[in-house]
Amino acid sequence: MQAEKEEPLFVEDTVYISSKTTAEEVIKEISDKLLEKGLVKPEFYENVIGREKDYPTGIDLGVVNKDLPNIAIPHTEGEFVNVRRVIPVHLENPVTFKNMIDPSSSMEVRFLFIILNNDPEGQSNILAQIMNFCTTISANDLGTFFKSTDTKAIYQFLNRSFADQDM
Amino acid sequence: MIKILAACGAGVNSSHQIKDALEREMGDRGYDVQCDAVMVKDITEDKISNYDIFTPIAKTDLGFTPSIPVIDAGPILYRIPAMAKPVYDKVEETIKDKGLK
Repeated sequence: MQAEKEEPLFVEDTVYISSKTTAEEVIKEISDKLLEKGLVKPEFYENVIGREKDYPTGIDLGVVNKDLPNIAIPHTEGEFVNVRRVIPVHLENPVTFKNMIDPSSSMEVRFLFIILNNDPEGQSNILAQIMNFCTTISANDLGTFFKSTDTKAIYQFLNRSFADQDM
Repeated sequence: MIKILAACGAGVNSSHQIKDALEREMGDRGYDVQCDAVMVKDITEDKISNYDIFTPIAKTDLGFTPSIPVIDAGPILYRIPAMAKPVYDKVEETIKDKGLK
């Protein structure tokens, strides 16, 4: 029997560029857009922000390569989202997040992968795919990617890179 | 069977990655391991007493002192073997020290 095909992790019209300067502002901005599209529940924003305070999601990519910017992976429980998708957000300004594996420290983040996951038992682990992307793509290509403000180019690079992953 | 409890804030992403990684690596090292992934807020003293090892994503205040060994599993998230190995080694060391089967 053929395995059921999973929905694509990235969709071109849900790639965003944000000029906000705080985590609350950028997550509010993107949450409102996702709510308009019916991708999340009205409670999504407050739950993501609440969770970020108690269980932060900043990831220090300096341990992978000192030239890479840091990322964050804001997310919340599956009951507050309607799809399984990753929302990439290029940040035009550095935004402070706390470190996921050391919540006592903070870092400046330049790119978000907001994870919408209504199927945590799904075939492939979304976070594992994001981390594979950040640790296996060449630093040069990643550096160019993280600086890009072209949503179409961001979408195409992610789609191609994640499709190539052998999970 | 050795029972491990992995935990993160939402119980959907990082704890599942820890679960997948620990079950795979400990299996490769010859141990019969089952790992459950849960939300930190759902952990009680009673629940944790059913497990052999607790592997949170970061230092976690549960509101009580866990009765089982605690090993911070955050470095596993990077999926970089050199970063994950010390965590795997510590889990294996605990399994051996405690005589877990």
